[in-house]
Amino acid sequence: MEIPFDVANIPGPEMGEVVSPEVIGSYISNAERPLLVVGSEILRDDFFIKIAIEIGKKGIPIAATGHSIRGFVGTEYADNVMYYNLHDLTNCLRDPNWAGLDGKGNYDFVIFFGILYYYASQMLSCIKNFATDPLIRAVSIDRYYHPNARMSFTNITPRREEEYRDMLKRLVKSIRGRQK
Amino acid sequence: MDEIKKGNLFSIAGLENVRISIGEIVEEEKEWEPMGPHPMPRIATLRDWDFKLLNRYKPFYAPVCDMCCLCTYGKCDLTGNKKGACGIRMDAQQGRIVLLACLVGCSAHCGHGRHLLHDMIKKFGRDVPIDFGPEVDIEAPLTRLVCGIKPKTIGDYDKVFSYIEEQIVQLADALHTGQEGSYMDFESKALHMGMLDSLNKEAADIIQIACYGMPTSLPGGGPDVPLVDVGIGTIDTNKPVIIVIGHNVPPAADIGVYLTENELDDKVELGGICCTSIDTTRVYKKAKIASALGRQLRVIRAGIADVIVIDEQCIRADILELCQKVHSPLIATNDKAMHGLVDRTDDDPDKIVDDLVSGRVPGVVILEPDQVGEVAVRTALQMDKKRRSLKFILSDDEFKYYVNDCILCGGCTLACPAGLHIGEANQSAATGSIKPLADLFDLCVGCGRCEQVCKKHIPIVDVITKAAYPQLKEEKGRMRIGRGPIWDSEIREVGAPLVLGTIPGIIAPIGCGNYPNGTKDAWLIVKEFAERNYIVTLTGCMAIDCALWKDEEGKTLYEQHHGGFGGGGVLNIGSCVSNAHIHDAAIKVASIFAGRNLRGNYEEIADYILTRVGACGVAWGAMSQKAASIASGFNRLGVPAVVGPHSAKYRRAFLGRADLKEDWKLIDATDGSEVYVEPGPQHLLVACETVEEALPMMAKLCFRPSDTDRGRSGKLTHYIDLNLKYLNTYPPDWHLFVRTASDIPIATRNALLKKLEDEHGWEIDWKMKKIKEGPIRGYDPSFNPTNLERLIRGKK
Repeated sequence: MEIPFDVANIPGPEMGEVVSPEVIGSYISNAERPLLVVGSEILRDDFFIKIAIEIGKKGIPIAATGHSIRGFVGTEYADNVMYYNLHDLTNCLRDPNWAGLDGKGNYDFVIFFGILYYYASQMLSCIKNFATDPLIRAVSIDRYYHPNARMSFTNITPRREEEYRDMLKRLVKSIRGRQK
Repeated sequence: MDEIKKGNLFSIAGLENVRISIGEIVEEEKEWEPMGPHPMPRIATLRDWDFKLLNRYKPFYAPVCDMCCLCTYGKCDLTGNKKGACGIRMDAQQGRIVLLACLVGCSAHCGHGRHLLHDMIKKFGRDVPIDFGPEVDIEAPLTRLVCGIKPKTIGDYDKVFSYIEEQIVQLADALHTGQEGSYMDFESKALHMGMLDSLNKEAADIIQIACYGMPTSLPGGGPDVPLVDVGIGTIDTNKPVIIVIGHNVPPAADIGVYLTENELDDKVELGGICCTSIDTTRVYKKAKIASALGRQLRVIRAGIADVIVIDEQCIRADILELCQKVHSPLIATNDKAMHGLVDRTDDDPDKIVDDLVSGRVPGVVILEPDQVGEVAVRTALQMDKKRRSLKFILSDDEFKYYVNDCILCGGCTLACPAGLHIGEANQSAATGSIKPLADLFDLCVGCGRCEQVCKKHIPIVDVITKAAYPQLKEEKGRMRIGRGPIWDSEIREVGAPLVLGTIPGIIAPIGCGNYPNGTKDAWLIVKEFAERNYIVTLTGCMAIDCALWKDEEGKTLYEQHHGGFGGGGVLNIGSCVSNAHIHDAAIKVASIFAGRNLRGNYEEIADYILTRVGACGVAWGAMSQKAASIASGFNRLGVPAVVGPHSAKYRRAFLGRADLKEDWKLIDATDGSEVYVEPGPQHLLVACETVEEALPMMAKLCFRPSDTDRGRSGKLTHYIDLNLKYLNTYPPDWHLFVRTASDIPIATRNALLKKLEDEHGWEIDWKMKKIKEGPIRGYDPSFNPTNLERLIRGKK
């Protein structure tokens, strides 16, 4: 069994599957309304902001939580990113009638990226337990194993940073572009 | 029964074998205010009010555990909001766990308060007057509000605690399998528990203020309370050192008395950790605050204490083991935390001291507070001599050995609640740079979980402490001692500016030290809002932690800002129980400024606070169950709170939906008309990921429907400015809070009107500089907002 990044964070019988970037990329490509949710940890390096923007450019809207919005201000992609408090956003996600960031309705696939581990874990738990009808699949592309996500990467230590960056590049490559 | 004879007492002929006992003489309370509709509310009494809150701020659940393991039907898998064998759904189960947390928290404060009352009645009698000096007429706002009682002496609190205890038992009953099944009702009960908790806190602080002469509005109190030393670096280890830990001050107070009576004030250091330390400085001038809760493990491990005295709450469960490792005898003074030690209450102090100093016993229990001082001081004096040559900070060689021994397995990171990358910092230290390791000192929450999983048995906490030792020795701050109640005269001064919005709000940093990014966040929160003329009222660990940081001139925020309840004030209200005075300040605004009756009138006052008083709590490092009940108490009274990201683990938040118009309908009490308003405050309980996000969120949660245009303009200025400063962008929802052009700050009015026109499609009359179309509502200075139909004065 995969060890959660916070080792005691074992929620119950349903725990996320560790998958490759390409599998997540495939799911994102096939989703009807995917949403990328980024957190403040993407600010640790411009690389991660660029990855988020690359995903955004594939036609996937971005909700910037925490103070991650700072990373997008001044970039060519600033207008396509919206600040949202993560608690507030997750609360909206569990409502099937939520209009979404663009007024076109709720999402069916949510990608968590760069969010403080334990806060992300709780929000993933909410989605897993309460965003069930219609089902929202939530996945993590952080360097942590997230048991509350449906799919997650494994734990990646700082020593394997380059490997992680490579995984993110593979993920971006594997997402099929869509109409915005 | 025709004859009454006088004896020692008296006897009634014919009833010689009948025993009559008089329990309490009930005097009719003098009419001081008409009794409101809800004195001593029971579980269901304020349910309608709770449901009004819960329908707007719907409970949001994020389970920590997807199972229920509370009965033998289980374990039950509730994943996906399934039902367990008893029929309970996941959402109700989460409400149940929240109620359980609030029960534990409320019971801790109630148990503490009742314990204190027993001790104080025993020591001082029931008739200690509750008199807080000429500036405090409303001495106990919560007691008046909830119980309908105006307490005159500490003995009056007997019936207050009886009420609370009965309610706690009823609420605990609801937790049993086969009782409550609705998450909304669980939350109503949690709010009830929170209200009881706030009452507990007020009672406990009033009792200790009255009995120990803690600061009030007498000379030297209120804004003029003295400063005290804070930080491990302030403890003079050349003297014998006593460290007190916990929340119940009588044993520590007795140590202070013993030191003074024996002229040892300058010869022995009395320092403390957590709230007992704050309260000790309110009763003993020479006391110091070693640290807040987050440093507990490290202060003990540093070995500075020649004796450690614990009372109750927030004490490490392994305290005895820790004390033994550093040869610090332990004195447990409360039956709720005895740690397996032998009860030596009433034993000969000579024998106890001898047993402790000789090491025959690692510690003792002494349950009589007045017996603690002598034993603690005499033990410290002797242990100081024995322990003087002992060193507990790692040597340079030991440090080097350990950092080189790390194999970078990452186990510590997985065990760390904050996910700190300790191995990499060890590696850096091994190659000559100890800064990354030293930097972890303030980020570490001091739990020690890392050490238990370390394959190389590295004492990681000690290694980090060693790396940070030079800074640690210089950790010397200053803070005001806890001032207790806000004065009525201060409320008279600020009531109007607060309600009208010209003082932008009250920010109340409270609670524990489970911060996401160290203690400096506490300092930043206080600094940012005090400099913006908010009133900043602190209690507990945040009050301590923000005092560890200084400006370029070496001044802490307490030294830079005044201590009065006015714009720009930085007030240490006191310990955790003292934060009831923050509730009280809001209640007094309703009473003194608006002339609302308090007596048994909780619902109306909470409605007033929710719609008019721009106050926001912040528990950035909330950790305990007490924090859960404290937040619930604030929330029921209409005060929102922002919490740190760890608090998502409390499982529940109260979140409003700005996009749902129907959720924001209020009544104009003047004529009964319904008014759709802006979402202010948008949430009752919300977590932020980082302090940069939390700062604008706190400003946002100070909006109230009653704001005047001038007040709204000030609040909007701060909300937008904090967003620009910390998020580098305008808040996406700032326009929701604009009702009229004069709501917009003058300096930026044209630019913001243009943004409203361009980005939000509002229609602007540029000639008149007015908004023609766009806002949720216009500004009506006579708007008298309420959520309560019964407060409508006349129908339209």
